[in-house]
Amino acid sequence: MGLMDTVRSILGVSAERDATRDADPEDLFGMSTAYVTMEADLGYTNAGAAALCFSSVDSTDFGDMVAEVEAILEAGAEETGTTFSQHSDDHGYNWVVLEDSDPEDLLTTIHFAADTFIEEGYGSRLLAAVFAFDKSDTDHAYWIYSFRRGAYYPFVPTGTHDRDSRAEFKLQSVLDGELGLERDEQYWYPLWPDTPGGYPWE
Amino acid sequence: MKWTTDWGLRGRMGLTMFLLFALYIVFLGFLVAFTNAGLITIVIAMGAFSFAQYFFSDKMALYSMGANVVDEDEAPELHRMVERLCQQADLPKPQVAIADSQVPNAFATGRNQKNATVAVTTGLMRTLNQEELEGVMAHELAHIKNRDVMVMTIASFLSTIAFIIVRWGWLFGGNGRNQAPVYVAILASLVVWVISFFLIRALSRYREYAADRGAASITGNPAALASALMSISGRMDKVPKEDLRDQAEMNAFFIIPIRSGFVGRIASTHPPTEKRIEKLRELEREQELA
Repeated sequence: MGLMDTVRSILGVSAERDATRDADPEDLFGMSTAYVTMEADLGYTNAGAAALCFSSVDSTDFGDMVAEVEAILEAGAEETGTTFSQHSDDHGYNWVVLEDSDPEDLLTTIHFAADTFIEEGYGSRLLAAVFAFDKSDTDHAYWIYSFRRGAYYPFVPTGTHDRDSRAEFKLQSVLDGELGLERDEQYWYPLWPDTPGGYPWE
Repeated sequence: MKWTTDWGLRGRMGLTMFLLFALYIVFLGFLVAFTNAGLITIVIAMGAFSFAQYFFSDKMALYSMGANVVDEDEAPELHRMVERLCQQADLPKPQVAIADSQVPNAFATGRNQKNATVAVTTGLMRTLNQEELEGVMAHELAHIKNRDVMVMTIASFLSTIAFIIVRWGWLFGGNGRNQAPVYVAILASLVVWVISFFLIRALSRYREYAADRGAASITGNPAALASALMSISGRMDKVPKEDLRDQAEMNAFFIIPIRSGFVGRIASTHPPTEKRIEKLRELEREQELA
């Protein structure tokens, strides 16, 4: 905890400041080589899907911005072939889900969507970018990029509320150095799927 | 999404803390000048006691509220909600506790971010809808984020010592000779205790406003917190009095203090609900018109 953090706490503005701190989307491109490592060294294939997870704001302007992101993604779909869907789940998370078998297209599109949030002044509402990998049809692993922390962490669910910590440890060990990892495991927030073997945004 | 900084609030908070600090410096000066071995013993004993209290504050608060820590299986939805709000607030997830009580209330406790607990009453979960509950939980998380337990413990430390000296200082008056210094110390302590009491209460109220702003930043929904405050304060009038008195000691950590009508405005730990709602309305307006 730095001196400035202490000063902010004393003034009671920590909560406000950290909840409105902007995100930096450039780290997303770090996934580019991670896709290769995941497949070549660990046997996890690209699930062909990545998602942007954000919390909404109760304002008309925010709604307009989300609509704008959708319009842009719609237009881009014809060029890259990246399809998308937007929805909110039972836990109050909002998702923009992108599907494309080419990781590079996924990254470009997700970066673009994140960038639009930031340009419109809502960068602080981005929670996570989620990159899905498959071992089998029901066996998934994820790299989650936390916009709030500016770091990646692995997430391997088994069922709907258990984590495979051995697999997560393996992912962490192998990808360390390639991705900027979250050191404090207290911040490895899960994004549970609703059904076993499903994706968290479903 | 950023609001204009509330410089008035920051200024008032800074000024209050400065005044407290200045008061304590003068108080310490008095203690050093007019003290004897007995008084020093009190100060050291109180220091140790406060330290212990600081360390066990979370467990004591939970115990006195009858709140039990619940795991994810027991309250999956509440856990998910806290988890998501923590992600937005950039906080490690605190423990979650539930107290079986009709009084709709919530509180946060714990000496730092890694040892924090948020607790809600079953009455609160019944009274509020999902969005409102999120607002209240975000308010409590903002308290944790702003380290309010630590700040308030430090702010009231010397005030507590002043109180103890007022209460027990005469025991160390000695036998006839050299009594005057002790009575000077007692008198000084009395003045310090009274002034610091009101300063600490003011500080507490400013930190509530700060936590409201924090909560609005976390949920992006000032209106939901405002409507939660309205339903809580409406419900508070209807609950039986016995229940209220039992829980009065926990007032400082509650989202809306019990018995706020009894105590004068400046002695209150929380600002009046209407004022908090007015401030939230300003944030909502700014958010729409940005």
